[in-house]
Amino acid sequence: MILVLLAILALMGAPLFAIIAASAMWGFSKESIDLQAIAIEFYGMAELPILLAIPLFTFAGYLLSESGAPQRLVRVTRALIGWMPAGLAIVSLLTCAFFTAFTGASGVTIIALGALLVPALKEAGYPERFNMGLVTSAGSLGLLFAPSLPLILYGVIAEVSIEKLFLAGLLPGFLMLVFLSGYSVWKNRAIRTPISEFSWKEVGQALWQAKWELPLPFLVLGGIYSGYFAISEAASVTALYVLIVDALVLREISLKRLPGIIRESMVLVGGILLILGMSLASTNYMIDAGVPQKLLGAIGGLVDGQLSFLILLLIFLLILGAILDIFSAIVLVVPLILPVAMQFGVDPVHLGIIFLATMQLGYITPPVGLNLFIASYRFERPVLSIYLDTLPFFFFLLASVLVITFWPWLSLFLTR
Amino acid sequence: MARLSRTVTWLGKAGIAAENTLLVILLVGMVGLSVLQIVLRNFFDMGFFWTDELLRLMVLWVAVVGAVAASRTDRHISINLVDNYLGEKSLVVAKLFVHAFSAAICALVTWFSYDFVQTSHEYGDILLGGVPAWWLQIVLPVGFGLICYRYSLFVVADVLEILGNRKRGEGE
Repeated sequence: MILVLLAILALMGAPLFAIIAASAMWGFSKESIDLQAIAIEFYGMAELPILLAIPLFTFAGYLLSESGAPQRLVRVTRALIGWMPAGLAIVSLLTCAFFTAFTGASGVTIIALGALLVPALKEAGYPERFNMGLVTSAGSLGLLFAPSLPLILYGVIAEVSIEKLFLAGLLPGFLMLVFLSGYSVWKNRAIRTPISEFSWKEVGQALWQAKWELPLPFLVLGGIYSGYFAISEAASVTALYVLIVDALVLREISLKRLPGIIRESMVLVGGILLILGMSLASTNYMIDAGVPQKLLGAIGGLVDGQLSFLILLLIFLLILGAILDIFSAIVLVVPLILPVAMQFGVDPVHLGIIFLATMQLGYITPPVGLNLFIASYRFERPVLSIYLDTLPFFFFLLASVLVITFWPWLSLFLTR
Repeated sequence: MARLSRTVTWLGKAGIAAENTLLVILLVGMVGLSVLQIVLRNFFDMGFFWTDELLRLMVLWVAVVGAVAASRTDRHISINLVDNYLGEKSLVVAKLFVHAFSAAICALVTWFSYDFVQTSHEYGDILLGGVPAWWLQIVLPVGFGLICYRYSLFVVADVLEILGNRKRGEGE
């Protein structure tokens, strides 16, 4: 009864942290546990050192999106692959992916890059509806690439090595890029005229202009995998680096604008961590109450092996992604399905990649797909038309999710 | 009424300034402290025993202050189904329910985290090798209290809107 009431309130738009807090407190009081437990569990956040990476990477991402980095990145990719047929579409996909990896698919990509890419695509003769679909679906494309926020959060919740998750996301993320690029090239095969001749001079100039941004992935990944620093330290080095470059070296962001950017990025972080803290309490209660075992019992009757479990999991995650945002889904659902998945022999790292890849589809699935609304707001189009424009991209992403799910090798090869 | 509304507006401005100041201090502090730690460890082979703990506590503070900042504009993560499908009038009523619920839940969390801080105070819990733990834990009841205050203001605004009294909105 109470749970139904909470579900209705959630659908009416109540903040999810309040819903989770309510269900946790209800659970505690049912077991006559002192309700101080909600504060104690929330305070447990202060015992997770890796969480430091979340505010710092988010800040770095917001700072990058406010600087001239998007323009410079587009120029580099354009110089490198602009000569290909449908080159600009691929340029868009690649830069969106790079950017989302740093901004955590919070809609920042669509806002920061959309204004840049949509007019350029239009000028190059791409159909309007294709452009809308492309930018909307590319807004969550880099989710599987390090150091994206959802990857880190999954690692925290599932207690899986984040270093492994970063490696595991590479090939599946690349597969998604290939699928969407392939579709874009095929769809625009009529646009034969390349946007630019290949020129070493332009490549050199573009690379030189972006000399400050290009070392970033190497700084992050190189630092982590050489063992020089931990994930959260990589985050602080990245934040400091971006801050110095954008505020002091290039001076694209005045010190006056800094508090505003810090505030914007920390509003997102506060929102995510508030949900995380509350779910620490509700998860603890649910595990005490034996929910995973009950879930396993229920699922055990439905499926008879890994294959049928994965099919069921995919269907469940697709529905989940359509109603819940990726961060809440991770903190709420992963602790419950992880033990079940392991019973069916699914590797926790592989499960993470499946989970995030499927939730990525949720960004462009109605009724609540976040990117649909951001794009609709940003480009002043009705949500329904944005949805129709994204549909072909949705199916190609779905195809890649199927490959990722049923071919564990793709996720696990690099982690061995 | 006008005076109350002025006070609320003033509180709002002071609140934004306080949130921004805290967020800037926390973020710059986290970046500085953790980079300092890397430098000290890798080049001088030394470090302070309290940096890790302080950094973790700062993350907790950033989370709470960021959450307070998010509630100012009602920007908490939610399933935004009705916004796009409900009519304007029924939307306000739905918002009223949602805001009242959120305020009530935050009031409860405030109460129980106050309890938690008091217990920690009674037991004399210590953090960072000598600081009374409740100095740092107090952020929980204060933060949730502020979020509760925010949602209560939304409730008032919703009620006023339903009653058709939009005069107050112009003053802000």
